[in-house]
Amino acid sequence: MKIQLPFPLMLLLWVSINTGCEKEITVDLPETTHKLVVEGSIETGLPPIVILTRSVGYFDPTDLATFRNLFVHDAEVYVSNGTQNVLLQEVCASQIPDSLLPIVTAVTGISEENLTAFDYCVYTTFNTSVWGEVGKTYTLTVDAENQHLTSKTMIHDPIPLDSLWFEVYGNADSLGLLWAILDDPAGEHNAYRWWAQRINRGPEGDPKDRTFVTPDNSVFDDQFFDGLEFEFAYDRGSTPDSEADDDFNIERGLFKTGDTVVVRFSTIDPAVMEFFRAVETQQLSNGNPFAAPAPVPVNIEGGLGVWVGYSAVLDTVICLE
Amino acid sequence: MKYFSYFLLLFLFGVSYAHAQEKYTLSGYLKDAKTGESLFGANIYVKDLLKGTTANSYGFYSLTLDKGSYTVVYSFLGYQDQEFEIELNKDLRKNLDLGLKELVIKEVEIIAERDDKNTSSTDMGKVEMNVEKIKKLPAFLGEVDVLKTIQLLPGVQSAGEGNSGFYVRGGGPDQNLILLDEAVVYNASHLFGFFSVFNADAVKSIELIKGGMPANYGGRLASVLNINMNEGNNRSFHADGGIGLISSRLTLQGPIKKDTSSFIVSGRRTYIDVLMDPFISKDSPFKGSGYHFYDLNAKINYKISDKDRIFASGYFGRDVFTYNNTNSNFRIRIPWGNTTTAIRWNHLFSDKLFMNTTALYSDYNFAFEASQSQFDFKLFSGIRDANLKVDMAYYPNLRHNIRFGTNYTYHIFTPNNASARSGDVEFDTGDISRIHAHESAVYILDEFDVTDWLRINAGLRGSYFAHVGPFERYVKNENFATTDTISYANGKKVKDYSGLEPRVSMRFKLGLNSSIKTAFTQNYQYVHLASLSAVSLPTDIWLPSSDRVKPQTGRQYNIGYFRNFKENLWEASAEVYYKDMDNLVEYREGAVPEADVGDNPDNQLVFGKGYSYGLEVFLKKRYGATTGWVGYTWSKTSRKFDEINNGLEFAAKYDRRHDLSVVISHQLNDRWNFSGVFVYATGNTITLPVSRYFIEGQIVSEYGPRNSNRMAPYHRADISATYTPGKRKKKVNPDTGEKEWVPRKFRSSWNFSIYNVYNRANPYFIYFDNEGDLSQGTLDVSAKQVSLFPILPSVTWNFSF
Repeated sequence: MKIQLPFPLMLLLWVSINTGCEKEITVDLPETTHKLVVEGSIETGLPPIVILTRSVGYFDPTDLATFRNLFVHDAEVYVSNGTQNVLLQEVCASQIPDSLLPIVTAVTGISEENLTAFDYCVYTTFNTSVWGEVGKTYTLTVDAENQHLTSKTMIHDPIPLDSLWFEVYGNADSLGLLWAILDDPAGEHNAYRWWAQRINRGPEGDPKDRTFVTPDNSVFDDQFFDGLEFEFAYDRGSTPDSEADDDFNIERGLFKTGDTVVVRFSTIDPAVMEFFRAVETQQLSNGNPFAAPAPVPVNIEGGLGVWVGYSAVLDTVICLE
Repeated sequence: MKYFSYFLLLFLFGVSYAHAQEKYTLSGYLKDAKTGESLFGANIYVKDLLKGTTANSYGFYSLTLDKGSYTVVYSFLGYQDQEFEIELNKDLRKNLDLGLKELVIKEVEIIAERDDKNTSSTDMGKVEMNVEKIKKLPAFLGEVDVLKTIQLLPGVQSAGEGNSGFYVRGGGPDQNLILLDEAVVYNASHLFGFFSVFNADAVKSIELIKGGMPANYGGRLASVLNINMNEGNNRSFHADGGIGLISSRLTLQGPIKKDTSSFIVSGRRTYIDVLMDPFISKDSPFKGSGYHFYDLNAKINYKISDKDRIFASGYFGRDVFTYNNTNSNFRIRIPWGNTTTAIRWNHLFSDKLFMNTTALYSDYNFAFEASQSQFDFKLFSGIRDANLKVDMAYYPNLRHNIRFGTNYTYHIFTPNNASARSGDVEFDTGDISRIHAHESAVYILDEFDVTDWLRINAGLRGSYFAHVGPFERYVKNENFATTDTISYANGKKVKDYSGLEPRVSMRFKLGLNSSIKTAFTQNYQYVHLASLSAVSLPTDIWLPSSDRVKPQTGRQYNIGYFRNFKENLWEASAEVYYKDMDNLVEYREGAVPEADVGDNPDNQLVFGKGYSYGLEVFLKKRYGATTGWVGYTWSKTSRKFDEINNGLEFAAKYDRRHDLSVVISHQLNDRWNFSGVFVYATGNTITLPVSRYFIEGQIVSEYGPRNSNRMAPYHRADISATYTPGKRKKKVNPDTGEKEWVPRKFRSSWNFSIYNVYNRANPYFIYFDNEGDLSQGTLDVSAKQVSLFPILPSVTWNFSF
């Protein structure tokens, strides 16, 4: 939901623009221990995919060698659906068949180009007995570097959007938001996540989006609309490392007439929603003097990160005036 | 009960000490000769006995002495002393008007001040400020702000750059009892804290009690800031005003019936929105956006008889922030503000027994309204009090000053409530939640001389608080899921608390000009301010003690050495304090404001302990061409919450090891006054990330221990010059045809201020900037410090006629 409390940020913006000055400083941070970080997901009909990395000191080097060294290899990673407990294999991008790359891209959010260029390694399995099924709870166990991590997630019933359309945003010419109708089931605590990907090509002939993109506040729950049917809207968002022109000009955050957009909408665990909401809040409040820093509520016992079950439904919409 | 027994013994001992002799009472009211304003704190000194008393906040004094002849001196800082030979062979009422020193003929030698309250009273950690002097100090953007001057006192810390919020001796912002004409002001700031709600033109007196809080005050752990509004000139009509960079002010006052009744109305409004409006095109999508605040103070008083007076006063202030963007059909409106009303009745039962009965109303409201396309969202919160109190002052003899009274408040809290709509669909944000509570107290205190060298102020306060229905308690499990709902009917008690609050302070006189004082206070605080942010914001909500939230309790121990020099020209003190606090409240880590909606907000609170100790040194030059003070504080403040920072002790955000303030004001001549302020403070505590990791290509920060880092030290100097054109002008006398000096009817002055004169880039906040892409090896991680205010000159023009 796009309505949030922006006034402290607006004040900050106002103050900074009008009177502020800024300088780079050196801060002394204490040494920190490296913790294991899980970025894992399992989706209906798809294999579990786990990326295992380490946390690093805030000002640790940021060169490519350091980046590659973040990945944790030779870990013992198990996924159980309650009856089957399967050891995942470490598969690097160079070993993944090209036909599976789009799936890995969809699940990890890493573009195919980056997957292959940096030979990302993920833990997964071709044993379909632990591929995602609606209604099942999946337990993840990781043992690596003398650390033991566990987590659980569930794949909930899918809740498709009732309808989806494009609408011009205010007075903006040919630019707008995607609107949808959600009919929330009554009597249960539902949490959701939204992604969108423009699958048409830009003026240079490149795909406008190489992967699904989550806008700010991509997760929400039905705390205030349990059992209601209502309309809501999302902007386009952008990837963290985007250098695309339309992420820096008037088109920023907006879809454009002529775009063909695939919307991915999924139910998620409420605990997972808390994790993503905290991550997104952290991105939005970085440097906000009014925000009190808070730890991100991970759902990984013994480590950091998130283990999430998705029950995604895809819809395609063509943006027409 | 043991405290009560001790107090009773002390009290009985004190009263019985008075001998049964033929006694008479000298009493009356002291007023300003020009305006008729009562002189709170004026001294009445019996030369023959080397003893005296002070006038209360209504200017009333009472001295009961043995029959005889006495030389009595009436004095007040800045006013001409008056001395009388009084034959006391019957009860005597002596009302007196004191004139300002500038009004008396220059040739008369000004008698040295005899104000030795600093060493003679039992007051500890109590400071009174002179509003006229505050007006001559450098003012941030030209806005005279009494709270920012308070911050220059030792033991009082600024909440941040340009911020009028203050912390006292390690206490939180909610632990300051801020009173305007005795009505509680729940949020004393405008523009997110950059300005206070107190318009200096409407303020008559300011008194801050940061330690040794007497028993007539309660309900807060840290301090009392008692601000009294002007009563209005009951001799002649006057208008005062000013035009500044930020706001303009106008005050009108005068008699309704001369010497019997008067009024004062004072208003202030910012006008950046009004000035900017003509420059914003009608077609601009942002037309209608802006910000303003305003204050309105009004007061009337009526002297019904020599024994009865009535005062009615009120304050109304609002901040309004609006943002429109027609391009995106986006609108925000954020209004918030306070309303206070006080009706007071003074009655003299006898020359020895003074009563003040007060009926009060106080209200603070905040709202956030946003709409975009078909979405509408509203969040609102507030607190409303109705209060009745009776305070009695009994002056049985010269040795005793007894006060007792009672206080009852009915609170209605409105924690975060929301409504939201998408088109025709109304979201379920629950029923509007209001929490009801009763708070009451009784107290008695006696300030009495045990011997010539020992004076004791002993008091006891008993307080009671009850949270009552209608109320629904949502019982949570460890995952914050509601497992049960308990309903309480209208008026049914949910939970109640009571507490005894002993207050004792003692003064041991060492000589004519020095004393040692010591004090112990125990306080209960039944209302709490819950803040989700790192600083105080208007969004912070007040919550009562409840079945989940126990009252905060605090105990403070003080000892200090006080000494005056050179006929009280110099005032010096050194105080040491230790304070420990229980049941402090904070939001749990990761709490979000929307979780309050449709739930009990106190379900998100966690509870802990705190302590604070420090040394305060104060040196003040009280009068003369050059006046000012130096205040230094060394302090340490800690908090410990089981559910915050892994249960480990952490430095409070109010923890500041060193805090230094230097204030100097120099009256060069009749026309020019120069002032300067220098402040230095250890950098604020801050929580910074210590490590990072990646999720979906985004950097996620892992924060280190709470408040384990500090920003760079804060220091700043401000200067100001006030130019007041001659108060007299030459005019031809139509009778004599000669030019002669006559007072100007229209007077004005200019205040030129420079804030941050050496352009120090003080840290306001630090953020971590991440640019580039780690997977490309182009990630650049850096820490940035943002400063708010560079050197800022300002000018304000003030006038009166």
